[in-house]
Amino acid sequence: MSYAYLFKYIIIGDTGVGKSCLLLQFTDKRFQPVHDLTIGVEFGARMITIDSKQIKLQIWDTAGQEAFRSITRSYYRGAAGALLVYDITRRETFNHLTTWLDDARQHSNSNMVIMLIGNKSDLESRREVKKEEGEAFAREHGLVFMETSAKTAANVEEAFINTAKEIYEKIQEGVFDINNEANGIKIGPQHSPTNPSLPGATGSSGSQGGGCC
Amino acid sequence: MFRSRSWFGGGWGRPKNPHSLEHLKYLYNVLSRNQTVSEHNRGLLVETLRSIAEILIWGDQNDSSVFDFFLEKNMLSFFLRIMRQRSGGSSFVCVQLLQTLNILFENIRNETSLYYLLSNNHVNSIIVHKFDFSDEEVMAYYISFLKTLSLKLNAHTIHFFYNEHTNDFPLYTEAIKFFNHPESMVRIAVRTLTLNVYKVEDTSMLAFIRDRTAAPYFSNIVWFIGKHIQELDNCVRNDADHQSQNRLSDLVAEHLDHLHYLNDILCLNITDLNQVLTDHLLHKLLIPLYIFSLTKRTTPLGDVASANMNRLLQNRALSLENSWSPHHENYINGGKVSCVVALFLLSQVFLIVYHAPLVQTLAWIILKTDKTSYEGGVDKLLEQYSTEMKKQKQRIEESVDSDTSTQSSSKEGSHENLLEEQRNVTDEEKQRLATSPSESVVGIEKPFLETIFNSLDCTENDYTTLFSLCLFYAVANNKGIRSDIIEQILKPKKTLVSKSTNDKDIKYSYNMQLVDKILHVVMLSCQPTCRVRLVTLELALKLLVQLVMCDGKCILLDSHKLTIEAAKSQSTALLRNFYKSEEIFLDMFEHEYCDMQKGLLNVEWLCMDSAVLLPPTGTPMTGIDFTKRLPCGEVERARRAIRVFFLVRDVVLTLNGEIETQLPLTNPQSCVQIDQALDLSISRYNSDLIGCTVIYKDGTKMRRFLVIDILQLILVEPDTKRLGWGVAKLVGFLQDIEVSGDKDDSRCLHITIHRPLSGTTTNRIPLLSAKFVFDDNIRCMAAKQRLTKGRIKARQKKMQHIARLLEIPGQSGPPSPAFMGASGGGYTSRQMGRNRERPLFNRCPGLAAPRRESSPSVVHRADAEARRSRNTAESPSRVSKLRNEASPRTNKEDRSRDSSSSSKTRSRDSSPRMPRPRSEEIPLELIKKAPNSVIDMAPKISILPRPQTPKIECEQSQLEKSGASRDKDSGVSLISDISEETSFIADEGDSAMIAKSFVETI
Repeated sequence: MSYAYLFKYIIIGDTGVGKSCLLLQFTDKRFQPVHDLTIGVEFGARMITIDSKQIKLQIWDTAGQEAFRSITRSYYRGAAGALLVYDITRRETFNHLTTWLDDARQHSNSNMVIMLIGNKSDLESRREVKKEEGEAFAREHGLVFMETSAKTAANVEEAFINTAKEIYEKIQEGVFDINNEANGIKIGPQHSPTNPSLPGATGSSGSQGGGCC
Repeated sequence: MFRSRSWFGGGWGRPKNPHSLEHLKYLYNVLSRNQTVSEHNRGLLVETLRSIAEILIWGDQNDSSVFDFFLEKNMLSFFLRIMRQRSGGSSFVCVQLLQTLNILFENIRNETSLYYLLSNNHVNSIIVHKFDFSDEEVMAYYISFLKTLSLKLNAHTIHFFYNEHTNDFPLYTEAIKFFNHPESMVRIAVRTLTLNVYKVEDTSMLAFIRDRTAAPYFSNIVWFIGKHIQELDNCVRNDADHQSQNRLSDLVAEHLDHLHYLNDILCLNITDLNQVLTDHLLHKLLIPLYIFSLTKRTTPLGDVASANMNRLLQNRALSLENSWSPHHENYINGGKVSCVVALFLLSQVFLIVYHAPLVQTLAWIILKTDKTSYEGGVDKLLEQYSTEMKKQKQRIEESVDSDTSTQSSSKEGSHENLLEEQRNVTDEEKQRLATSPSESVVGIEKPFLETIFNSLDCTENDYTTLFSLCLFYAVANNKGIRSDIIEQILKPKKTLVSKSTNDKDIKYSYNMQLVDKILHVVMLSCQPTCRVRLVTLELALKLLVQLVMCDGKCILLDSHKLTIEAAKSQSTALLRNFYKSEEIFLDMFEHEYCDMQKGLLNVEWLCMDSAVLLPPTGTPMTGIDFTKRLPCGEVERARRAIRVFFLVRDVVLTLNGEIETQLPLTNPQSCVQIDQALDLSISRYNSDLIGCTVIYKDGTKMRRFLVIDILQLILVEPDTKRLGWGVAKLVGFLQDIEVSGDKDDSRCLHITIHRPLSGTTTNRIPLLSAKFVFDDNIRCMAAKQRLTKGRIKARQKKMQHIARLLEIPGQSGPPSPAFMGASGGGYTSRQMGRNRERPLFNRCPGLAAPRRESSPSVVHRADAEARRSRNTAESPSRVSKLRNEASPRTNKEDRSRDSSSSSKTRSRDSSPRMPRPRSEEIPLELIKKAPNSVIDMAPKISILPRPQTPKIECEQSQLEKSGASRDKDSGVSLISDISEETSFIADEGDSAMIAKSFVETI
């Protein structure tokens, strides 16, 4: 399927906040957990439309790789957007946000769009973090904020799509260098100018080269 | 992707409960009837595959019979069959298939279920299947699948993937084929997978990795890093104009990624693997490319290295990609990268990698290689290193001596020279003396060390200096390097000097030559026109402290101590030049201090910044951090001078084992905090207690008492528990307030308290901005006076504090005799001007240049301020004079003095410039924080562009003038009357009297 742009996202946050469920909920809506079943996945892709342009979102969950510094570093650097997720029913996941944010700011490129997500909004009775607190944190650090539920799918679409919109706006403003693959943005095959002279690993339509087999 | 169920799905008696064994059976039927993928059934197949994942996960958690059925029917083989079909848009189905597998392996909790899934080798067949990797979606899902599997690896599951008998490990071997995939996320996934594999403690698997894959995999990594670095080098060479900063920063970040990855592998501590990796890195990358690039000479290196490379290439067990081989020669023959890049990259290596065998060898080669082995090339170097190490093992005691004997003898040579001649030589001469005797030794014998040493020279600029310092710092602080290698060179050396008797003395020594060089950098930094960046100075000082502090003591020799003290007075003198009465100077001073405390130098972060790789620049347009470029314009030169002062001061204190007691200017401990209870009956607060109502912008009203402390404005609320006590509800610094009256209501004041400037928070919203309503207009006036006066006094106090720090005379101790003559009353402005100039030049020779550089008006301001502050300490009459000068009433007088003295300055400089702010200076005026209303009341001498005013030498005529102007401008006189009154309140009686009489004479 052809697209105008491809945005790479990462999802970060403590374990158990529902990152991979959010991901699956967004990319594969079929898994609406009517039944008591939590399913997650580490990678997913989906096409959305912004400004009547087809945009492909690729979302990479980084769970379980924190042990290796090289890995987290590279993930941050390669993404155009990040969803920073905490669990509204567990205060400590909210308290760790600063650490996550510091990490993200240190390793990512400065233009990366970060969206703060308070997940599990369906569990209102067990809520430990008020919505206002999330809003305040987001305001203080210049993030976009939203409460979601991977279970009821509330706001999940919006979370991913709003992030994409912001990235898209930044592209329009010329903030992102879209010819630089390292930013986590790729121009679609039909949009990319043919520049075979580009050296090294930055071929913009890299898949053509074939995966070295 | 979300097709509705096809025509086919409807009538097959699909069970109502999607989570049941029945439903799986139904799906099995669908699969077996649609074994050939076609345009028509692919939607159905995708849907079926999705459902299968869901049911299996449900079954894993609820009903084991589900899994039994799945295995019994060998449903994974259906998967294989589907993916092997090349027709009918199979990539669409393949993607779903891979995602289903992802979901399966990610979510299965039951270990037995997992084993079942893995048991019949279908997974390995899927792994080796040749998908259409040109489809980026397939590629992404495939690599995620492999990564998900790798996260499931442990000592048990490894046997499902690694077959000991066939020596087959498809998960790993297939994955590493993509290690240089153009898609960054794919590369990251491959790295994650390899690390997950290495982590599994299985001897035979690791043996397989080492024997069959390590050499080719590592040599390819190493080769790609090498190629990458050449690219980086090209980027630096061809970008003197800072045009491709983005590209460069990517290349640097990529190199860091590589290093971190290698370090992550090394940190897993797998001995065999580390040996192979270290070997590759040393032989093919770090020594031939990084270290040899340090020297400019051409060597037989190229041949040797490529011969090496060929040998290693032949050793490859399996070639991952044939097309790579030809490039190898190109890159190695292409030779070297620039010295700057090499220094930078080596610093990164030492900052990131701690693997002892690797960094130790590197450090030894850099620090100790002599010319003979250098000519022999990489192999010879390594050989030498290993023999050296063997020798050392054999006779540890002796070898330590012999190893350092040449070193120390050369050091001592230079040392003696220094001690003999230090008395009457200039720094430059000292420098030459220090380097010349050792030059012969180091120059011939230690080619690499010599380069780094020479790079420390920053007479022209500090481009390479910074990286040499980084490298020295990184080597000195790498925990993988044994101290005997760096001792004496980068760390102080302790030797036990055993005397004939039993008592032993510890003798400390340090690298004289290096300290000389560093001190030279420091001295240069304190020169007004130098081209040394702040970051270089900070790093130089940081390294210096490490070099000469041992066991908590400073072992610096007296000659060097003198040099650093000289640097301190030089930096003080440099800053004195910028000291002026401007509001902004104090703000800048405090801001810079605050900024520096927050952003202490982190060398690792510094070496992550690609911006430093380009030649130093002065323009802020590049977006480069202030400390990492040269100052631009007068304001930044002032900021730089302030920072240099702080840095040098701090190091001198550290070296002397003293603690900072003078900075920051505001001692946070002495400040009142919010919610602190205050005893308002004590005189400190009692005198200035004014009741008022505070009305905020949003309409909220609050009854408060206004307390004006020495530095702070405090709003208190009476304490309910203790009579006469109050609780602080809001505190702000007087120096940051802005007060203005209300033209409609004489009982009102508008008060804004700005936040102190600080580097990290960009929050410029005022701390408080509200209307204060007092009981009557008299109280309102009183409050206004006190606040205005408080602001002035708070600032004066701090300015005096700074003046003391800068040793500006008149602040501490008796005034110098030069001023005594002038202290008799009625001297003219011309005299003052002259007196002012003399000490400045006397104190700091060599500062004439910057003075001439700065515009006359700036010089004058410094004069005026210093004159005022000097006056303060001289005599009561001076004080009174100061008061008058300070008050706006005599504004005119000041102005005319200004013009007279500035025109004099002009004539002294014999420059045709008008004493009007130059473009360079404009920012100073613009950045002023406070609006005009406040500045008018501040004790500030404002410059009016009136160059035509003739010199007025007679004070009397000035006074007349000011008197006349006062009549004209009654508004001004009203305010000045008030502030005059306030000053009486605050002053001691006698000076007030004198001041009054002075006023009366007007």
